[in-house]
Amino acid sequence: METTLEGNLFTPASSVLELRTVSCAYEPGRPAVQGISFSAREGEILCLLGPSGCGKTTILRAIAGFEPVRSGQLFLSGQLVSSPDVTVPTENRRVGMVFQEYALFPHLRVQDNIAFGLRHLVRSERAARVQEMLRLIGLEGFERRYPHELSGGQQQRVALARALVQHPVVLLLDEPFSNLDPDMAGRMRQELHDLLRRTKTTTVLVTHDHDEAFAMADRIAVLNQGRLEQFDTPEMTYHMPATPFVADFVGQADFVPGTVSHGMVHTELGEFPDTIECKDGTAVVVMIRPDDIHLVPTKGALARVLSRQFRGSENLYTVSLPSGQIVHSSQGSTSIYQAGTTVEVRVLATHTVLFRREDSTG
Amino acid sequence: MLFVCSLPTLCRTIFSSLFLLFMVGAFVPSAPAADSLTIYSGRSERLIKPVLDAFTATAGIQIQLLSSGTTELLNRLKAEGDRTSADLFITNDAGSLELARTAGLLRPLNMREIDRAIPSQFRAPDNAWVGLSGRFWIVVYNRTMVQPDQVTSLLDLGDPKWKDKIAIPNSGSEYLQAGVSVIRATYGDDKTRQFLQGIKANAENQVYQKSSQIVDAVAKGQVALGIVNHYYIYRHLATQPDAPIAALMPDQQEGGMGAIMNVAGVGILKSTKHLDSAKLLVEFLVAQAGQKLFAELDKEYPLHQDVKADPALVERKNFRAALVPLTKLAELREPTLALIEQVGLR
Amino acid sequence: MVTTRHQFASPLQLLALASAGIILLPLGYVTAQALSADPVVWQRLWTTRIPELLFNTVSLAASVAVVTLILGVSTAWLITRVEIPGRRLWEGALVLPLAMPTYVLAYVYSYLLGFGGPAEYLWQLAAGPQARIFSPHSFWGATLVMALDTFPFVYLLSRSALLSMNVSFEEVARASGVSRMATLWRVTLPLMRPSIAAGLALVILYVVSDFGAVSLLRYQTLTYAVFQQMTGRSDNTAASILSLLLVVIALIFLITERWFRQRSRFYQTTGRYRAPERHRYGRLGSFAVISYLGLIVGAAFALPTILLIQWSLSAEALATINNRFFGFVWNSAILAAGASTGGVLIGLPLAYLACRRPTLLNLSCLQAAYAGYALPGPVAALAVLILFTTIAPVFYGSVLILIVAYVIHFLPAGLQSLEPALQQLSPNLEEVSRTLGLGMRDTWRRVTLPLVRNGFVVAWVLMFLQTMKELPATLLLRPVGFDTLAIRVWMEASEEYFQLAAPSALLIVVLSLPALALLVSKDWRAA
Repeated sequence: METTLEGNLFTPASSVLELRTVSCAYEPGRPAVQGISFSAREGEILCLLGPSGCGKTTILRAIAGFEPVRSGQLFLSGQLVSSPDVTVPTENRRVGMVFQEYALFPHLRVQDNIAFGLRHLVRSERAARVQEMLRLIGLEGFERRYPHELSGGQQQRVALARALVQHPVVLLLDEPFSNLDPDMAGRMRQELHDLLRRTKTTTVLVTHDHDEAFAMADRIAVLNQGRLEQFDTPEMTYHMPATPFVADFVGQADFVPGTVSHGMVHTELGEFPDTIECKDGTAVVVMIRPDDIHLVPTKGALARVLSRQFRGSENLYTVSLPSGQIVHSSQGSTSIYQAGTTVEVRVLATHTVLFRREDSTG
Repeated sequence: MLFVCSLPTLCRTIFSSLFLLFMVGAFVPSAPAADSLTIYSGRSERLIKPVLDAFTATAGIQIQLLSSGTTELLNRLKAEGDRTSADLFITNDAGSLELARTAGLLRPLNMREIDRAIPSQFRAPDNAWVGLSGRFWIVVYNRTMVQPDQVTSLLDLGDPKWKDKIAIPNSGSEYLQAGVSVIRATYGDDKTRQFLQGIKANAENQVYQKSSQIVDAVAKGQVALGIVNHYYIYRHLATQPDAPIAALMPDQQEGGMGAIMNVAGVGILKSTKHLDSAKLLVEFLVAQAGQKLFAELDKEYPLHQDVKADPALVERKNFRAALVPLTKLAELREPTLALIEQVGLR
Repeated sequence: MVTTRHQFASPLQLLALASAGIILLPLGYVTAQALSADPVVWQRLWTTRIPELLFNTVSLAASVAVVTLILGVSTAWLITRVEIPGRRLWEGALVLPLAMPTYVLAYVYSYLLGFGGPAEYLWQLAAGPQARIFSPHSFWGATLVMALDTFPFVYLLSRSALLSMNVSFEEVARASGVSRMATLWRVTLPLMRPSIAAGLALVILYVVSDFGAVSLLRYQTLTYAVFQQMTGRSDNTAASILSLLLVVIALIFLITERWFRQRSRFYQTTGRYRAPERHRYGRLGSFAVISYLGLIVGAAFALPTILLIQWSLSAEALATINNRFFGFVWNSAILAAGASTGGVLIGLPLAYLACRRPTLLNLSCLQAAYAGYALPGPVAALAVLILFTTIAPVFYGSVLILIVAYVIHFLPAGLQSLEPALQQLSPNLEEVSRTLGLGMRDTWRRVTLPLVRNGFVVAWVLMFLQTMKELPATLLLRPVGFDTLAIRVWMEASEEYFQLAAPSALLIVVLSLPALALLVSKDWRAA
């Protein structure tokens, strides 16, 4: 496999994958993604999170080499693989890919599927690697089955094995759990996570489900309409969202308007420190999560419960504040308040997330 | 080819050999054996083959026969040009032979046998084509349905009283084309047009590709009258002597046109590679032996003066032939075709 | 190997363009010749032959459409909505007429209904010795033959519409108080309309393009006239003009069929499918239904086949089964094999590109290939003839031009199988292969081709069996002495030598049966 020799410019030594202001477009003038920059270290699990159409699959395909890059640069193991002038073909990149529908070769058995990319090895070596993989994914004894004889979960594991057997530089997963039902998906997620950790595989995973992203990823890249809004750990993304979009996407969020005055933000729910250093009088919104709001039923209070949604592990209440502003509160599973109950609303946030009012969506 | 590579070796071998076989069969034209002749014949196989077989029996030369429509063959010869594998061209109609001659396809022959055997009005001036047998385009009628005095002239068939009672050949038939050419030369465009419109209306669906079908239709009583070359009538009678049909020589009255005559003939192609064998065949065909076959087997009028026609036929000297020279049939062809098309004959 | 941004398919694309060119070029030549003809010729044709030909063609198409509408929809409804003993058998039987080429059915019926034939005999027993029934060589004869041969198109399409119709529509109607009869009229039939329309358009296309039946029955349609012009004249101008007209008409119906086929997709509902309840009729009712179906299948397939077998077993017919006969079989096979191979090789790049890279160019190339449907046999032959005599006369009279004409005419049939096979092949499979280190070539070899092979084979077999039956182009273009089975049938049948034609005809029908089985299980519209 040949690669270019130039382009080893200034890449952090430990990053296996790096994107520098990468833009892709299917037709000129309509970019699918713009100015994307992030990197992945060895063994890291990255997640590309966003709604459909945000461009996450495009980026995945660009990393794989299926989509050309219109501007910016893409590096794999420090080598430049994609740029406006140069596109190293997929077959030379050693990326492993698992598609949403797994794309197992229907005309080949499990063992031949897994061994598909190992033509350059001797037969014994190939068989050994296949066995090793089967053991790893827990499907020993399934070598001679055909894909249509396997369940969904088993197919996914075979697809994974096929991708991992060639020790790829980076593993790319396109919505791997969207075809499974929720219980199965939960279990598979755990297994996959363990597997990836064990094999220390650098992974990029695409999903629209933030729970999945939180469960799997070391770092999350949140994308919206082709742009990268935040690239951070799951905790930071949840607690310190960089934009209102991120805030709303990764979890339930309410935006309460307020005004800055003397370093504090005055809102209906109380006062918060001005963490974004605005001038006095600036209109801002405060992001509040349901788990930050505590309800205390109080006769005569001004806020009232509108409805309750039982969620098994918690109750999610929709509460209307005197001004008409709607907020949500997450209470315990057994705390049941009827609609119409007047409650006192207390905010118990450990940190404040503020956005200027013109940025807010709410 | 990639597809082939994905098959196991055995399949690949089979596939390749089949493919090779096919290529050989398809593109390499099969060259006929050294002493054999290829003939393009506008005459139907059934009629010409026996005569040719007799030739092969005496001369030992094999014959490859392609029989098809005369116009088709003419077109084919023109398109093939020098590459044609045909050695001789046999047709039912002098007009087509003349067209072939003027198109430069035929080779003039200088053979005494021809000059002696066939009168000059039945061959091209330079013997590029030679008539072999005479045929008359006449009326066949069903004896139970028609009295012979009801029809005098060919043109009578256009009369509305024969509606749905006649059968005619289709407009591609060279007999029809030649026949109408003679009518035009004799009576002019207007009368001919009338005639054509008349028979078109009268015949309706009874338009046939083959003359034998016309005779059959008359014999079965499906129609009362038909226009065919005479020998079809006698061939039918030879196999079915009880058939209620008879031949009527039209236009024999005083001042009438006379029966429309045409000849079947042969020409040797300029590009032939087997000139000697071809000449042998022509010799055979114009000699008494060959001419007798035309008379006996085909029921035609032999052109050789010393050979008599089949006794069942109307004696040649008992009726008059139309006076249009055969060579003129070619010139007359195009405008006749136009007229036929104008009227819209099928 | 570093590559700059490019589309792999350059050689493939060139191939596809070349293929589309092969198909469109002859058509272009015919059009050019027709349009450059002397206006006098145009005028002459317009005033003399064309009105009659147009009228004949259109009226025949219309009457066949009406008859097949009745036959097709009624049989489809009976099969899907009524409990009939031996239903599976009838389902199969109703498709059998498609195995019979129109010229075979025409020749059988010209015997059955012909002058002095059995039908007349039977009729005369009843109505006296002078009674005549209608001649097969007429408008009604042609209608009968064509309708019997093509109603399965309407039947199949109506049947699939009925089967995929969600019965809840009808249940809703009945729940709203509408009677059974009215439900049929106001709900079921309208829902079937696009499928029926597509079927009728196909039938009309078939009738307009047919040569075999109309030539044997001597019914003057445009297609027949083109043939006659080509064989009876030395210049092809008039033939070109008529051909152009024919192509325009065919195109109209081709587009109509596709449009309705698209519409019918929208009428297919998602949601749980429940099989409709079947009506049960009493003894008498079942008997009536079976008689009706039996009559149709008998007239369209069983009776002709029995006759063919009977004739083939006669002494004269058996005498023809000699070396010469096997020569014809071999000729037919060689031609068909050449055409299918050529067709599949040409069709594959076209279909592949249209599937994988659906740019306007690639899609247009694919659509061009379907133009073959609008080129009836004689027109395809004329087009190829003109093309070759203008460009490469050296090939005149060789098998090659006949194969080209076949490929042009039958490529759509092959594509009908290649397209779905390629569409089923997910692009992900090829991409995965590339992530595993295989280049495009290897991917093709180890992934694409093995998976497409099935569709490949089906397409090949379908084209093979179609070309075995082809008549007009073969008549016009075949090399010296190169006769096929179809030619023999036509030659003998046109001289009314019924028995002599039988062995060839029977062989053709027998060979068509596997094709039919394949077609019905895949996509029968290619028949």
